[in-house]
Amino acid sequence: LKTFKDVIARADQLLPQGRSIRVVWLAALLMSVELLLLPLIFKLDGQAHGNWQQFLGRFHPLVVHVPIGLILLVPVLEIAGLARPALREAAGFVLKLSFIGCLGALILGYLLAYGGGDVGAVVTRHMWGGIVLTIFVLLCALARPWWISGSVSRVYPALLSCALLALVWATHQGGSLTHGSNYLTQYMPAPMKQILLVDYFQSSPASSGSFYAMHIHPIFDSNCVACHGEGKIKGGLRLDSYDVLMKGGKDGAVIVPGKPESSTLLARVTLPSDHKQFMPADGKPPLKPEQIAWIRAWIQQGASPSAATVNGVTIREESKEPTLQPVGDYSGMMHEILLMQQGQGAKLVQVSRNPADGLVLSTVDVAGSFDDAQLAQFQKYAPYIVEVELGRTAVTNGCFDTLAKFTNLRALHLEGTGVTGVGLQELAPLTQLTYLNLSETKVTPANLAPLGAMKNLRHIYLYNTPAQPVSGADAAQSASRSAL
Amino acid sequence: MDLPIPPGLKQEWAAFETRRQFFGRTGKVLGWAALASLLGGRGVTGDAHAANTNGPAGPQAAGDLKLPNFAPKAKRAIYLFMSGGPPQIDLWDYKPNLAALYNKDIPDSVRGAQQLTGMTSGQARFPIAPSHWAFKRYGKTGTWVSDLLPYTARMVDDLTIVKSTNTDAINHEPAIMLMNTGNMNAGKPCLGSWLAYGLGSMNDNLPTFMVLQTKVNDKENNQPVSSRLWSSGFLSSEYAGVGLRSSGDPVLYLSDPNGVDREVRRKMLDAVNEINHQTYEELGDPETNARISQYEMAYRMQTSVPELADLSKEPQSTWSLYGPEAMEPGTFAYNCLMARRMAERGVRFTQVYKRGWDVHGNVTGLLPILCQETDRGCYALVTDLKQRGLLDDTLVIWAGEFGRTVYSQGGLSPENYGRDHHPRCYTTWMTGGGVRPGITYGETDDYSYNVVKDPVPVRDFNATLLHCLGIDHNKLTYKFQGLDQKLTGTTPASVVPGLLA
Repeated sequence: LKTFKDVIARADQLLPQGRSIRVVWLAALLMSVELLLLPLIFKLDGQAHGNWQQFLGRFHPLVVHVPIGLILLVPVLEIAGLARPALREAAGFVLKLSFIGCLGALILGYLLAYGGGDVGAVVTRHMWGGIVLTIFVLLCALARPWWISGSVSRVYPALLSCALLALVWATHQGGSLTHGSNYLTQYMPAPMKQILLVDYFQSSPASSGSFYAMHIHPIFDSNCVACHGEGKIKGGLRLDSYDVLMKGGKDGAVIVPGKPESSTLLARVTLPSDHKQFMPADGKPPLKPEQIAWIRAWIQQGASPSAATVNGVTIREESKEPTLQPVGDYSGMMHEILLMQQGQGAKLVQVSRNPADGLVLSTVDVAGSFDDAQLAQFQKYAPYIVEVELGRTAVTNGCFDTLAKFTNLRALHLEGTGVTGVGLQELAPLTQLTYLNLSETKVTPANLAPLGAMKNLRHIYLYNTPAQPVSGADAAQSASRSAL
Repeated sequence: MDLPIPPGLKQEWAAFETRRQFFGRTGKVLGWAALASLLGGRGVTGDAHAANTNGPAGPQAAGDLKLPNFAPKAKRAIYLFMSGGPPQIDLWDYKPNLAALYNKDIPDSVRGAQQLTGMTSGQARFPIAPSHWAFKRYGKTGTWVSDLLPYTARMVDDLTIVKSTNTDAINHEPAIMLMNTGNMNAGKPCLGSWLAYGLGSMNDNLPTFMVLQTKVNDKENNQPVSSRLWSSGFLSSEYAGVGLRSSGDPVLYLSDPNGVDREVRRKMLDAVNEINHQTYEELGDPETNARISQYEMAYRMQTSVPELADLSKEPQSTWSLYGPEAMEPGTFAYNCLMARRMAERGVRFTQVYKRGWDVHGNVTGLLPILCQETDRGCYALVTDLKQRGLLDDTLVIWAGEFGRTVYSQGGLSPENYGRDHHPRCYTTWMTGGGVRPGITYGETDDYSYNVVKDPVPVRDFNATLLHCLGIDHNKLTYKFQGLDQKLTGTTPASVVPGLLA
């Protein structure tokens, strides 16, 4: 307690007194107003200004992380300071340092946007976030001595909290500028998306079902819109909807319907990748050859927003594989598994070195004799098994009962077995199952019916079964869901 | 038991034991012995070393590599090797503008300072020989394919066609070694051996890596193909490819002779194994263990190979798909059918060799024969794998060691021409687990001479194959001659993302 008092006494001495305190506050107020007026004086007009602004501005992404780290350190030091007063002393210094960092990052950031001609909603939000944050940090630095002296105890914590909120907001906007606004949510599990209403806020392109909406827009959306979208409008060009795409940028139209060779957009994405004007710029991954071919064909045939097909281009519908849930870590059970399968002939094989990829039940060495009872012995490890190879084994319809408990099963091989499909409906709870091979069994169309409800089951093979007899002529059609 | 070996010789052998072998062995023998008793003869890790419990597989065990590095898209691969160098211009790389340039000299700017083979470097002229065959567009992708490949053309939508494959070698031997082992000089392990070493066996009763040679057609210009191409190099010889003969018994002396039943055979093998174990104890050469496991494999193959080669239960649809030729052992179609049967039975890697693509002359006479021999088999294999649900996790590769020149070797006439070796670009294709179907990757110039876009050198090609099988090519290594040896060699290689699904 005594040390604490000492600290306060020392802090008191450091406080600006009398007239000087008023001067400091006045200067701070003036600076805040200046910062707030900055966007009005040097308007972000979407025009590029001078190279040196851009040269300096490009240090913004580098410098910006310094104040972020420092600001986050302040509350840590304040809290840790409860136990170790020396740390609290450091907090004041770090706070002042973070203000200087904020100011530097703000200026560089402004140069970047101003110099590069960046405009857009996210740019604006990021800019205001940075300005507000800088002002809050400044106010924090000024209010802290009061808090230390104990005269005004609530203002500083409140200001610091506001600064932290401003920090989160401003940095998130900055991240969206660099990585695109869906960077954080792209791989979010679907249930979480529903809870957080993520898709609710995502805009959808015009006339769904058209070639543009299905194939062209997604290319722009994932490769271009981060810089040419609502958030950031490089070169005055937006590609986030059909109308703005056709409007073009500050140099005019980028798409000339029917004339791919005069469409600037196509020219820019097909330049050599080290060319100054190559797009996507700044080392972002180039468009894939087939994507460029689709864009060319689409422009060639009129660049229509609504046409459903483009002649000469058929895009294989890549059935989107469902995201697989990782299985638990079985490494601890390995010893037990080894003992259990001793003498079995069947074995559990690791899919990869990563336990989350699961195990495969392999029976190929003992295929002829492996039966339902042996399968049941592996049930204990069912949660870790992602693939069961029962091709040409002695299992019967009785196996479905056991297999229903393999909740992480992704692929099931039953080709060449005696199953007829009675009991297949027991597999319905296996939501992860994507592959089912029933080739060369006696499975009948009627018994397959329950599989129709299994959404994720995309690859069903029924070659040479009553459900898909072999014509004897040329190659039989490969199986598909349409067989159901 | 003492072997009848002169003591002096034995001492000499013992002195050959390297420091590395010694330390590798002392550390591991105990561990392996413990593990072997624990496993009771069965591996859980999916690599062959635990399953072959006859001791350490070699001075370095692949188990330490912890493969696969990530979940593989393909569990197994079938490699259709077109030895000799198929002419990309006549099969895949459509250059309609060449027709107008018939018998014109190829511009020097295209050829550059390239050193040619001795077979054409003395030619006064390099006259352009446009393809004799027409091309048409096929499939939903509208891919151009020569009239020579009517069957393959039907499945272009499933293929990943690489027009920009290129190699550093211009002659058969170095080029075919480079494709198979990643090095032009013999002595390095081939792709199949690396896979056997790294991923191990899926079926203990059949070799992990099998090789099928197609019967030689004497009309064609056949380049030699031999076991150096499926050699395990410095890896233990149990990872070498096992070839099936193209006529007669698939494996010589596989069936027991009259009067020797299976039990007698077993007893004999047990005795031989015991002697081999003693030799190993005495000399510590890991190759002794390889020999023991090969004896055991041969014993198991006595039952597994006849079952593998028994085609009597194949349905009629098989023959209508592969064609009647598939009934005759040694034909390409037969080998394709066998490759499918091996895939079903858990053979990790099957390589089918077809020789005769070395068309230096008489292209119009030879090429139709070569295509007729192979086209249907390729199509049948891919289609068969697809309809049986095997293509999802099987990678199929079609490749030669290089391409052929646009200019004619020897005389050029409207009816006939020849084509020399061409390393700078050639066309290959893949399909199945891990690769993106329905695309054509890479572009060549107007003369099908240089790659102008997305080149795929051999090392990148091989890195991509390994990637499909769940292997990081930089992590599948073996210490030898002071180097972490790998299939892709020392020049940095990279997986080609554009080829991946």
